[in-house]
Amino acid sequence: MPIAVGNTSVYTPCLICNTGNPPQAVQCKKCYAPMALVHEAVAQGRAPQVVSIVGDANAGKTVYLGFLLDMLSQRANQFEAVPRGAYSVNLQQTVISHMAYRMFPPKTPMEADQWNWAYYQVCKRAKHTKWVDLVMPDMAGEAIAAEIASPTTFQVVQSLLGRSVGLLLLVDAALAGNGSAQPDFFALKAMSYLDSVLGGGRDTKIALPIAIVLTKADYVPECFDDPARFAAANLNRLWNMCDTRFSRVKFFACSVVGSLAYAVGTGDEGVTPVPLHTALRGVLEPFEWIVNQL
Amino acid sequence: MPLGFFTRNKSSGAASAAAIQGTGYTPADKPSLPGDPLAQALHAGRLGLIVAQPDRWRDQPDYAAVRERTLLAVDDQFALVPEGLVSIPATIFDEPGGPETDVETQPFLLARCAVTNADFQHFVDAGGYEDLSLWPEEIWAHLISLKDQTGLPGPRFWQQGRHDKRLARHPVVGVCYYEALAYAQWAGYRLPDEAEWQMAATWRIRSAATAQRRYPWGDGLDVTCCNIWASGHGGTLPVDACAGGAAPNGVLQLIGNTWEWTSSDFESTDREGRKVVGDTLMKCIRGGAFDTYFPWQATGDFRTAANCLARYHNIGFRCAMDLLSN
Repeated sequence: MPIAVGNTSVYTPCLICNTGNPPQAVQCKKCYAPMALVHEAVAQGRAPQVVSIVGDANAGKTVYLGFLLDMLSQRANQFEAVPRGAYSVNLQQTVISHMAYRMFPPKTPMEADQWNWAYYQVCKRAKHTKWVDLVMPDMAGEAIAAEIASPTTFQVVQSLLGRSVGLLLLVDAALAGNGSAQPDFFALKAMSYLDSVLGGGRDTKIALPIAIVLTKADYVPECFDDPARFAAANLNRLWNMCDTRFSRVKFFACSVVGSLAYAVGTGDEGVTPVPLHTALRGVLEPFEWIVNQL
Repeated sequence: MPLGFFTRNKSSGAASAAAIQGTGYTPADKPSLPGDPLAQALHAGRLGLIVAQPDRWRDQPDYAAVRERTLLAVDDQFALVPEGLVSIPATIFDEPGGPETDVETQPFLLARCAVTNADFQHFVDAGGYEDLSLWPEEIWAHLISLKDQTGLPGPRFWQQGRHDKRLARHPVVGVCYYEALAYAQWAGYRLPDEAEWQMAATWRIRSAATAQRRYPWGDGLDVTCCNIWASGHGGTLPVDACAGGAAPNGVLQLIGNTWEWTSSDFESTDREGRKVVGDTLMKCIRGGAFDTYFPWQATGDFRTAANCLARYHNIGFRCAMDLLSN
């Protein structure tokens, strides 16, 4: 896969954005994707199976992703996950260490060069045949929103989605259940954007497996009872878009925080949410569903 | 009253709730109850009501005999927690050397097992949700929302007012603090406060060596002694499972399976001394549950809370009693 640029240098194209990088590069100089992805693909002679995560700001992407990776590392549900590069562990470590001390991790910065990329190779232990390349930057929700509103603002988002064989779209169920239309509109925009990126024809539904993960579902217990019904009732625009344009969509409910409290002072210091304890529910199932779809 | 200090050694022999659910709800049968109120109370497991309120049964000719049987049942189902001293973390960051509140606890009786679905069924069948005397007045307006999946009074995950009979021996979940409190009062018991609960789990009895245990069985985590996320069951287990995790007095599953409601309000601060509060009144819950991811959140002294009206899938309760005078 190395390509010659000019007469003297040999460059390796980034698998996400196709930018040429020096052979020793750890991350792409343009989009910061892990170069191990292309090296592994070449070494193993197979196409990568990229699964990505998108969602609005504060939808819970960082926490979800951190726990998902940690659960995979702990061989939940017979999965086996190998981090490809120490940098891949950073996100997981940040999330776990914060949540263990009853704090939410810091907000993901807007700048792409500060995103934590995670590249794990994942498979079911019993099979060892179906390896999935879990390549996920912890993208700032604001960056995703900016790219959706004005394509090519954050080219990496488009490139990543174009390469993905499966997608996890995170939607804030607590906000939706509380009557806000914002999660519905964001998700509708995201699916519309995806429709254009993947170039679906008017009469052809897009077959990319998409798990729509309704996060913070502990706030709306009925969401756990029937996530699809919850979506039809509270995310109707998204629901209709999925029904019309996408053939492989499934709704999931998910929560990570078992109980939420708030630290309140007497002055102007504001209110800080405190995750009192963790109670993971529905974290692994969306990913497992996507893996089974591949 | 004889008090048993023994550890039950029953095999769990049971699938987790996660494995059972999803294969179709199987509503429990409606039992036929004896006509005699005293026999009914005994059948429904309202042991505290029988032994602690003798005046209520004075005109029952066979009360003395029934009371003797009931005392034996109390001895079987409850265990003595001796007096002791517990140190309750004062902040949400329970760090070594952090501020603590020392509380002395008096001896009391604690149920060896959490309240099961089958136990709670008696309360539902007896009209416990309609008996306002069992509920604090401030909750009356909310009683109408304490429904099961089909709109009938009952725990949140039941259907048609019946529990899933395959989960009869599993802890009842989907009950808020007030439902736990109402059940305990109906049966003649009470809920333990958090100091009592911590005493039972950490076993810091008054003795020459007042060491505090991290877990009821000792200081080392053993995922076969409890049902937390790392144990891999993915749902609740019957209340008598994990016998190896019993406290010295035979109380089971203080760690894992479900969080347990206590009667204590949650009062805590963060590092900066700011009060930590919930959307509504929060009650302390203790012990961790089958989905507790961090093992250090499922220890004898880990302190957390839930909103008092929360009806979660991972919170149950167990009952306590004061020592009987005779």
